[in-house]
Amino acid sequence: MTLKQCYELLEGDYEDVLGRMRKEALVEKFVLKFLNDSSFETLRQGIATRDRETAFRAAHTIKGVAQNLGFTKLCEVSNLLTEELRQDWGESVAVLVRQVEAVYERTTAAILAYKEECAYEKS
Amino acid sequence: MKNHRTPRFLKISLICVVLLCVIVFSSLALFMERQSSETINQVGGLYMESMCEQISRYFETTIEMRLNQVSMLTEETWSEDAEQLQQVRQRMESNARDCDFTHLALLSEDGQFEMFYGEPLRIADPVSYLSSLNAGERKAALGYDSTGSSVVLLGVPCEYLMTDGQECTAMVAGIPVSYINEALSLNVSDDEAYSFIIRKDGSFVLCTDDVVRGNYFDRAIDLYDDVEKKSPKMYVEELKQAMREETDYSTSLSMNGVRRHMFCTKLSYSEWYLLTFLPYGDLDRTIDSLGQKWIRAAFVSCTVILLVLLVVFVVYLSMTWRQLRDLDYARQEAERANKAKSEFLSNMSHDIRTPMNAIVGMTSIASANLENTQQVQNCLKKITLSSKHLLGLINDVLDMSKIENGKMTLNIDQVSLREVLDGIVSIVQPQVNEKNQRFDLSVHDISAENVFCDSVRLNQVILNLLSNAVKFTPVGGAIRMDLQEEPSPKGEDYIRIRLCVGDNGIGMPPEFQKVIFEAFAREDSTRVHKTEGTGLGMAITKYILDAMGGTIEVKSEQGVGTEFYITLDFLKAEVQEEDMILPNWNMLVVDDDRQLCESTVASLKSIGVNAEWVLDGENAVRMAMERHQQQNDYQIILLDWKLPGMGGVETARRIRQCLGEEVPILLISAYDWCEIEKEAHGVGVMGFIAKPLFKSTLFHSLKQFANASGEILPKQEEQEPDFIKKRILLAEDNELNWEIASELLSELGLILEWAENGKVCLEKFTAAPEGYYNAILMDIRMPVMNGYEATKALRALPREDAQTIPIIAMTADTFIEDVNKCLETGMNAHIAKPIDIREVSRILGKYL
Repeated sequence: MTLKQCYELLEGDYEDVLGRMRKEALVEKFVLKFLNDSSFETLRQGIATRDRETAFRAAHTIKGVAQNLGFTKLCEVSNLLTEELRQDWGESVAVLVRQVEAVYERTTAAILAYKEECAYEKS
Repeated sequence: MKNHRTPRFLKISLICVVLLCVIVFSSLALFMERQSSETINQVGGLYMESMCEQISRYFETTIEMRLNQVSMLTEETWSEDAEQLQQVRQRMESNARDCDFTHLALLSEDGQFEMFYGEPLRIADPVSYLSSLNAGERKAALGYDSTGSSVVLLGVPCEYLMTDGQECTAMVAGIPVSYINEALSLNVSDDEAYSFIIRKDGSFVLCTDDVVRGNYFDRAIDLYDDVEKKSPKMYVEELKQAMREETDYSTSLSMNGVRRHMFCTKLSYSEWYLLTFLPYGDLDRTIDSLGQKWIRAAFVSCTVILLVLLVVFVVYLSMTWRQLRDLDYARQEAERANKAKSEFLSNMSHDIRTPMNAIVGMTSIASANLENTQQVQNCLKKITLSSKHLLGLINDVLDMSKIENGKMTLNIDQVSLREVLDGIVSIVQPQVNEKNQRFDLSVHDISAENVFCDSVRLNQVILNLLSNAVKFTPVGGAIRMDLQEEPSPKGEDYIRIRLCVGDNGIGMPPEFQKVIFEAFAREDSTRVHKTEGTGLGMAITKYILDAMGGTIEVKSEQGVGTEFYITLDFLKAEVQEEDMILPNWNMLVVDDDRQLCESTVASLKSIGVNAEWVLDGENAVRMAMERHQQQNDYQIILLDWKLPGMGGVETARRIRQCLGEEVPILLISAYDWCEIEKEAHGVGVMGFIAKPLFKSTLFHSLKQFANASGEILPKQEEQEPDFIKKRILLAEDNELNWEIASELLSELGLILEWAENGKVCLEKFTAAPEGYYNAILMDIRMPVMNGYEATKALRALPREDAQTIPIIAMTADTFIEDVNKCLETGMNAHIAKPIDIREVSRILGKYL
């Protein structure tokens, strides 16, 4: 599996990110690092404790990271959640959190799959 | 109306004041006149009395003198001797004649005269005369001689023997009455004083010639008028009373309208009374004229005061009226604004409801058809459109409310007009393409591309005009924008930019053109009902232009099109303009807009290129051929894409056929050229240049060919800004984001340091020596301390670089409000995520 195929899987814009980072190795490095990103954990905690401020910031961070990495789909859903949390605890927060969760999982799954394949190829 | 109460009150009070004035002044005049005439009457009375007294004194003196003369005669000693007696009598006679006596006689006790000389005499009132003489008094009386003429008899008691042997009782001398008349000047004209002498019973002793002999009392009762309710009879009674009591009497009386003062006094040496009459004449006239003067003065002063009052009143009234009118006008204005606002609200609620309904409806349709992906997608597309529209509406309303609250401020910054227009063109292009409209853009002779202005607001203004033009121009119409530079009247440091946005759309009726720049105005007709909008766009545009010190005018005709003209004065930015020099090429510019051609050729000349221009494809091919035959090819050819007749692409193909592959051909266009890119490349077009064609646009687009053709390289090749050893502090809470940023920015040669949040950032900056960091990149949403707070705290630090260090926001929030908030809190610029190295280096290049 190539990085491009991985991006297709997680509904991202590979051209865009490559355009900005210029080197595929760089993109790969950061994509793999995404697996270690703790923002989603923070978001979960914020939602669980109904701490709007934390949840909002975490959603915002996820959106920022997703933008930087060109994860279009994740950016989209986290953007919706961010806006829902911006002023107060909006009605659809629960629904949107589930959506973000789904996309996040899909994204990490795709990256994991890519990682494993690479590891296999290298070995 | 209650407003009219004040003027009415004023009118009534004016009338009252006028009346009061008139009454006070006329009564004052009357009172003073009466007072003065009374005083003058008194003075006149006193004067008359003294006059009359003088006259009577004179009379007395005269009579006394005469009587003394007679007494002198009687001093002769009477002699017994007849001869001596004769001599005595002769002496007496001659002495008497010397004294002008007309008669001389001795009077016996019983009233018999013994004449010395003169006509025989008769006494008018013998009884009282004789008794007085017999009592030894000297006395004067009236008598008559035998001829009947009146004679004044002057009798002095003496004791001479008369011829009949009887002893006489008095010697009597006579003088004519006329003598007394002359002596006393009793016979004078009406205007002057005159006097009568009467007896106790009223009969005249002496009087004026014209008075018939008779009784004064009867005459007075006949002739005199009533004076101050005193009838002549009463007057006569009073006079008689005074005569009886032998006191002086004075009064004023009037005869035939002539007022006179009368004074009566008893004359000594006789039973006569002297009545002196003095006309008031002059005195009256003086009093009258005094009174008239009084009245005139009163009238004049009254008039003056009234006039002043009137003037004050009129001025005050007109002031009141003007105030009322202004008030009324302001009220109408307020009502009108209010009405416009409520109309706007009802429009707005309709406008907001429409997309809202679409969103609600589409959402429910989508949720009912979750399985049907096609339909859900369709619904979502519509929802997106509606929300975008709604967002636009809300942004407009927010803008307007900011403007109405006076909160809108301009963020003046150095701006490149080229960048602004490039941005605008890329936004408008899709809209224009969608409606298949023609879009012409030309820039004429812009010498200063970099100016100071608020680029966001300038963008807003131009975009608003262009999107209106697109909106109100039917499919297939044409839209154009011209940009021109003129010398500014504000001085040499300024340039005046004239921008014209025109279309051939539906136009506007003249009534609407008048109100187009008013807030909440939107043409309400079926013609434009389908086109939504808040009606605030033009008001916002106008307001922004006013704030920038610019003007906007509109020219429009229904069915023909609309043109907006904007004039703005910008301060020129003092940037070191790049030394833009290109090789000494020969170039050909092909465009159907003659002005554009001329302006482009001029721009090219200024950067060292010789260029020719031609207006259509056919001629362009011919000229290129001619040059080719002369072995003097154009080095570069610029072709407009949308040429009349033979299009740009076709022209390119033909030129390519004739000249081969070498000459670079570039297309110039205001359109998005994605669609024709392949075709163009196919016919040998080597690149595109986006309109508008600023000098710098031309320079940067053509520069690459200077390399390719191996000729003189422009000096300015190290285009990438030099960021080596520049130290940047990056505040970012997410590690991954930090790594990405760090990785990308290191490539520019920057040294990056990480701060996990605003607080750390602030601490690091505080701890570092001044000038250690060259810039700060600041995320906004961070835990502990967010970007806004950190910026505010940092700017407030008491160190020199706290104010000057560039702080650039780097955030995923991209709403205009977010950008503005960043700038408000003291940041210098705003970069949207995702991090784009070109954008970052461009912005950093501005500040480092």
